[in-house]
Amino acid sequence: MKASDLALFAGTALSGHRVRTALSLSGVAVGIAAVIALTALGQGAREYVVREFTAMGSHVLIVFPGKVETTGGGPIGGAPRDLTLEDFRAVVSRTPGIVAAAPLASGEETLRYGARNRAALILGTTAEFRQVRRVKMGAGSFLPRRDARQAGSEIVLGAKLARELFGPESPLGKVVRMGTWRFRVVGVMAPRGRAMGIDVDDVALAPIQTVMAAFNRTSLFRVFIEVRDKRLLPEVKERVTEMFRERHRAEDVTVITQDAMLSAFSDILNALTLALAGIASISLAVAGVGIMNVMLISVTERRSEIGLLKALGGTDRQVLLVFLAESGLLALMGGLAGLAVGLAAVALFTGLYPSFPASAPLWAVAASILLSLSVGIGFGLWPAWRATKLDPVRALTGR
Amino acid sequence: MRVTDLAGFVLSSLTGHGLRSALSALGIAIGVMAVILLTSLGEGTRRYIVSQFSQFGTNLVAINPGRVKTFGIPGVFGGTTRKLTIDDAQALRRIRGVSHVVPVAMGQAEVESPLGRGRHVYIYGVNHEAADAWKFPVGQGRFLPPIDPHRQGAFAVLGPKLAREIFGARPPLGERVRIGGVGFIVVGIMEPKGQLLGFDLDDSAYIPVASAMRLFSLTELQEIDLTVAENEAIPAAVERIRTFLAARHSGEEDFTITSQQEMLDTFGRIMDIVTMAVTAIAAISLFVGAIGILTIMWISIHERTGEIGLLRALGVSRRGVAGVFLLEAAVLSLAGGLAGLAGGLAVEGLLFLFAPGLPLHTPVMVMAAALAMSILVGLASGYLPARRAAALDPIEALRAE
Repeated sequence: MKASDLALFAGTALSGHRVRTALSLSGVAVGIAAVIALTALGQGAREYVVREFTAMGSHVLIVFPGKVETTGGGPIGGAPRDLTLEDFRAVVSRTPGIVAAAPLASGEETLRYGARNRAALILGTTAEFRQVRRVKMGAGSFLPRRDARQAGSEIVLGAKLARELFGPESPLGKVVRMGTWRFRVVGVMAPRGRAMGIDVDDVALAPIQTVMAAFNRTSLFRVFIEVRDKRLLPEVKERVTEMFRERHRAEDVTVITQDAMLSAFSDILNALTLALAGIASISLAVAGVGIMNVMLISVTERRSEIGLLKALGGTDRQVLLVFLAESGLLALMGGLAGLAVGLAAVALFTGLYPSFPASAPLWAVAASILLSLSVGIGFGLWPAWRATKLDPVRALTGR
Repeated sequence: MRVTDLAGFVLSSLTGHGLRSALSALGIAIGVMAVILLTSLGEGTRRYIVSQFSQFGTNLVAINPGRVKTFGIPGVFGGTTRKLTIDDAQALRRIRGVSHVVPVAMGQAEVESPLGRGRHVYIYGVNHEAADAWKFPVGQGRFLPPIDPHRQGAFAVLGPKLAREIFGARPPLGERVRIGGVGFIVVGIMEPKGQLLGFDLDDSAYIPVASAMRLFSLTELQEIDLTVAENEAIPAAVERIRTFLAARHSGEEDFTITSQQEMLDTFGRIMDIVTMAVTAIAAISLFVGAIGILTIMWISIHERTGEIGLLRALGVSRRGVAGVFLLEAAVLSLAGGLAGLAGGLAVEGLLFLFAPGLPLHTPVMVMAAALAMSILVGLASGYLPARRAAALDPIEALRAE
């Protein structure tokens, strides 16, 4: 039998029972649509996290004070040796391959302007922070370049913080008070939203030395180091760790690459996506059982047809192919319909939430077509095999 | 039609096409099994987390400096210019309903034994009440002695894992250890307690709070833990703490109070949502199973047109005919639901044998709900075919035979 004959034969058989065909392919369609939609959402979540990370500079090392051997999370609390500004200066100035590096100290305090006040996260840092964390300015300028050990009275406000303190007034050049300390607003950052769990629009940046003095801190909270080239990351990481070990005579800082954090997140989200898609594809097995059932009925109904085919010299292989083509075609149509529905749902979702980059990855589209075809052929195998076992004489006489 | 007749009729038509019925029920069975397994996993995980938290007692209240929360954890970025101090902690003892007060200052340092073995772990600076407040029993020796919290003291209590790692088989009690280069005497070893949210409590050391603040050159506490007396209402006590501490900090609420109960409720809610979402995804299979039943019933009505005509001609009403097919679908689906339930419980039994650590719990409610759902699925998928059967004209139907 020619391939075109085969397709025609299967097509006629299916279109002869419209309702039955539509119902059994809709089972596959529902399953495929669910798999596609969930994979797209998972992929979107992963994409979102990756974008958050790369927006902050890509080849970045993060240094924490303290080292713990038992837990996976970043260290919390203090360490016997402080991570000081002197450490920062010494290590950064003597390590080649660094583009920019910024220290970070933090605290919370109420900022006041006139009668208004707002509690905010105050981050002490240097001018390099802008480069390392890719800060975008809305108005004014960033903190001025100067030696990290020098105090200063400039402050840069997050967009929301500036709005809350100043309302429609321009904050540039105004003086805000923090306890007994006074700062002059030199710039306002562009709105950015939440990043890594904190609302960056609600923070203020001030010179590191002043912030450490104001909060009575002796240790830095973090050090960010941006490396010139991705390939230099391991080398610089090794060198920074080594220099801290020399200065502190102990290994009491943790140096991690941002890529390591990113890939940890990315792995978790991938696993989650696969798990959800896996759960959704249970419904494909159920749809397969449905197809098997319908094909069994179809084989029983068409006993005489099969008998005739065999009497005319059709081989077992040809009979098998006829029924496999039918179930395969059924499932494939279901898969294509499901793909269309799934993609439409994803498009609807991204229309409603444009900031969430949900899109079905190409591999998922290809996999869903293959999956539906193999569901049809896999579950069609047994009914088709039963058809080949029919005795032509008995099938034709209807006994 | 009498009820027994109806039942007999439905049963014989279902068993007449044994394979067909079995396959339709199988679809529902797979769906019910998936729902049961995933709900059990969700419920088991929820119970596991709740038990993990409540081993510290549900009357625990934590105060952290600062109001900014990072990933829901307060105090990561450090506090304000007004510190959370040991004096704050001591003053909180005066509040009615507060039974234990534990100032906490923590950091990481290397703990070295005289054997020369060292290990980087979390060091908790606390007072003598920590063991009681955290419901944390001492295995050997005793916990930190009751000293003035402002005074430093060279006593250390080790977690069991830490003790094993740095002392091996040698008894650690009375031995000297160096923590961050400073000498301490081991006075006690804790009982094993396990992990909490990634923190291995058995792999840490406890020293007096003033010593920890000195060691880590901290100027403020990271946390104050309080327990509320059994007979006091927690929200009222939290409110008293809030007012009292704000008054001490010149009227500013520059700290965050979290009660264990509140945290448990939040976790419970999150887990419920996750379980529900995953179960809903699994329930897609039930929907597909329903489509399968619908298809089979549709075919079945087509095949049994003559039979339906005969029933109608013999005086069975339209509603009677519809009832026959609805019942057939419901029985089919219920059988699938029962099989799925049995299969799900069997898989859980296997999982319990081969992966005993997996938290699984199947509430009776969920089992009942799964069965009720399978009947509903059957009725819903039988509705269209039943209506079609009822609408058949008896004369036309009989002629088609």
